[in-house]
Amino acid sequence: MSRFRNLWRRLSRYGTFWRYLRYAALAVALLAAGFTLYLDFRVRSEFEGRRFALPARIYARPLELHAGLRISPASIADELRQAGYREVPREDEPGWFARRGDSIEIALRPFVFWDGPQPAQRVHVDFENGAAASVRDAQGRDLPLVRLEPVPIGGIYPANNEDRVLVRLNQVPNHLVQALLAMEDRNFQSHHGFDLRGMARAAVNFVRGRGLQGGSTLTQQLVKNFFLTPERTVQRKVTEFIMAVLLELHYDKSEILETYLNEIYLGQDRDRAIHGIGLASLHYFGKTIEHLTLAESALLVGMVKGPAIYDPYRHPQRALERRNTVLRETRDQGHATMKEYAAARAAGLGLKPKASMGTSPHPAFLDLVHRQLRRDYDEADLRTEGLRVFTTLDPRVQAAAERVLERKLAQYDREKRFGPSGLEGAIIVTDSQTGEVQALVGGRDARYRGFNRALDAARPVGSLLKPVIYLTALAEPSRYTLVTPIDDGPFVWKSRGAPDWEPQNYDRVFHGTVQLRTALAQSYNAATARLGTEIGVERVLATVKRLGIERRLKPFAATLLGAVELSPLEVAQMYQTIASSGFRAPLRAIREVTTQDGRPLKPYSLEVEQVFPAAPTYLLTAAMQGIVREGTAQSLANWLPPESAVAGKTGTTDEQRDAWFAGFTGDRLAVVWIGYDDNRAAKLSGAAAALPIWGELMAGLGPEPLAPPRPDGIENVLIDPQSGLLADLLCPGALELPFAQGSAPVERAPCASAVGVAVEEVKQQATSWFKRLFGR
Amino acid sequence: MIKRLIAVAAILGGCAAVQPPAPVSEPVPAPVPAPPAPFENAAVASLVDGARADVAAGRLVNAAASLERALRIEPRNPRLWQELARVRLRQGDYAQAESVAARSNSWAGNDSRLRAENWRLIAQAREARGDAAGARAALEAADRQR
Repeated sequence: MSRFRNLWRRLSRYGTFWRYLRYAALAVALLAAGFTLYLDFRVRSEFEGRRFALPARIYARPLELHAGLRISPASIADELRQAGYREVPREDEPGWFARRGDSIEIALRPFVFWDGPQPAQRVHVDFENGAAASVRDAQGRDLPLVRLEPVPIGGIYPANNEDRVLVRLNQVPNHLVQALLAMEDRNFQSHHGFDLRGMARAAVNFVRGRGLQGGSTLTQQLVKNFFLTPERTVQRKVTEFIMAVLLELHYDKSEILETYLNEIYLGQDRDRAIHGIGLASLHYFGKTIEHLTLAESALLVGMVKGPAIYDPYRHPQRALERRNTVLRETRDQGHATMKEYAAARAAGLGLKPKASMGTSPHPAFLDLVHRQLRRDYDEADLRTEGLRVFTTLDPRVQAAAERVLERKLAQYDREKRFGPSGLEGAIIVTDSQTGEVQALVGGRDARYRGFNRALDAARPVGSLLKPVIYLTALAEPSRYTLVTPIDDGPFVWKSRGAPDWEPQNYDRVFHGTVQLRTALAQSYNAATARLGTEIGVERVLATVKRLGIERRLKPFAATLLGAVELSPLEVAQMYQTIASSGFRAPLRAIREVTTQDGRPLKPYSLEVEQVFPAAPTYLLTAAMQGIVREGTAQSLANWLPPESAVAGKTGTTDEQRDAWFAGFTGDRLAVVWIGYDDNRAAKLSGAAAALPIWGELMAGLGPEPLAPPRPDGIENVLIDPQSGLLADLLCPGALELPFAQGSAPVERAPCASAVGVAVEEVKQQATSWFKRLFGR
Repeated sequence: MIKRLIAVAAILGGCAAVQPPAPVSEPVPAPVPAPPAPFENAAVASLVDGARADVAAGRLVNAAASLERALRIEPRNPRLWQELARVRLRQGDYAQAESVAARSNSWAGNDSRLRAENWRLIAQAREARGDAAGARAALEAADRQR
């Protein structure tokens, strides 16, 4: 202070005081003008675009309801609940369902799908024998097909995980606006950005001991949230003041109010921040803003002051009292009649059951979606443009996969059969025909957004690679058939500059000469290594590549027995091609994308490419069915009946560090991996640790039996399982096995009678003989 | 050959398991092409109808999407795969047209009419790609489906 006094004195002494003062005043005025201009520029440029960052919104696949669909009313109810439908009929608005015995009544909300809007619709579904018997509309007419609203499964969020749903002011109920103004800014309609009366009232109330009230107008609050950081300094307060006035100069009240309503922070759902009353209305009440009641509006308005303190889920009583304060104030201001007030006060909170999901309940699947989107979209666009992404996730399959992995790993931990607790795992389920990913679990805690083992854990695959060797072999029917004898004696592979490779069998026993199908069914290492080196490692690797593995594998002999690291996703891709008869369909997690307002963008369509002939793929599938029927995966019979004819392969790696099971039914393919994150030696095996998870999962999903189409040039021949030679109906336990035409054995088994000939062949011979005879 | 003859003789001689077709002496009239059977599943039928309407209106992307929806309901229906192949051909996606037609063939079983049509689609796709020899081979394959 004294320094200023000295300056003052000096200035007066020199007599130039007034000149300096004028310069100073000019400088200050210029600075202030410049600052104001700068603020004006900011206000206008940022407010003009008024572009809220909107997250990309991700949806599960819509359930397609039609007569004959195998589904229970319970799983439809589950899915509707996840989509925010309530189990209470509300005549005035859609978004609910009601179950009555063997039927379900659904009031579908309107929804914009990729290919256009679907209006609100009343649907009645009757069930019979575990399937939808009929799907009808309100007038009782049959509907061929109804798409349910897809379950939202998260988003790709902007900074701070801000989530919001934009609304227009004319959608907002009047009582919400009135309650808001009554509480936060009574003179909003008349002030110019600041409110002296409001400030005075706040000051008076403070002095009277009624606590500290903000004297800020809505405009000031908006400026604070929109442009400024939250620290409380005088400088910031001044800036806020100027910007508020500028905002009011440039924009009218309704624009400011609408922006405020969309900006306001109204709570937290785990790591997701709920912004704007549009989203808050959906989040707390499961309804769109138009349908809010006075009581519900008052609850939201009450939360403006402190979304955490008045969180109605965590502090229902406090939130209720706050809501009633808002209602009282609204009535006192003359915006609600006594009757409306009394009714609203008597109402409960009306919250929807809390379906907390954070940024996503299925982060591992979302991760895959995000990666696939990044091939076509900018990261910034994904986080801000409000794209709507329709994925392939099947909520029922996903839930089943998450549950079984969590439960089984908990059980393994308790038993300590495979090693100490802390086992981890991953599961992928796809539609075996189209390559759509129906479920993806990246670890035992499916909600945890972290290391995604399904995509990023590259682990040795062990015997999972064996089918590729056999597929390569079976493509040469003149050399290899399912019954070709293979030597499972001790095998040594010498290559220059590398130690000798002497693969051992899992049971430490060599089995002599075995049939090719048996070597695969029992997963014999020596026989497989011999077969693989006979064909050539390079050729096997070429098949791996054709099946869809882009990663370059090292051309070492040990690669044949799975000394090669792949992720569960890559394994799934490889097996998908086998499951769909040699037609590779890239695994897809996305079907369609639209802009925020529903304009369709490029779809991710089904693509298939025949990368391997159907005949050897068919033969391999038969051999893989043998693995389940009589080989290392026999225990699958504990979960699935023989008629399901599943094909699958177990995988176990060195020192039993990893357990794998990969296989397919008529409609789905699944890959299960179990192991430790630190890759420690354990006592894991594919059959003991991964297979039960696969079996339980698939059995719960009610699989279609596997019956791949028999390609041209394949004939079924009766084979004596012991000798691998021709059998006839007199041979006990004779097996019908497929062969490429002309490749079946011609020698008869001891059990076969003199005329033991391939049944099919006889039929054909007879037919062609008749043709020749009668010219037909 | 001799072994086979013996086998056939044995079958004719007494094996009741295999029924040879009854000989027919009168000439058989040339088969009249029947119209393709309607899709049994009402949901699939409505999607295919929608897809055909979309094709007629030039909305090929939508048509393909509807057929994909239908394929999710009946992934083993070769006629759906064939419809999709036809749409891909119109879209000028010849590689997919050929692959999808081949996929249809893989599910076609003994339906020679369907197979022949698939081969003709493949021939068109190859022709459009400038693969004249491949197109000829596909047409020959179509002719063999009798």
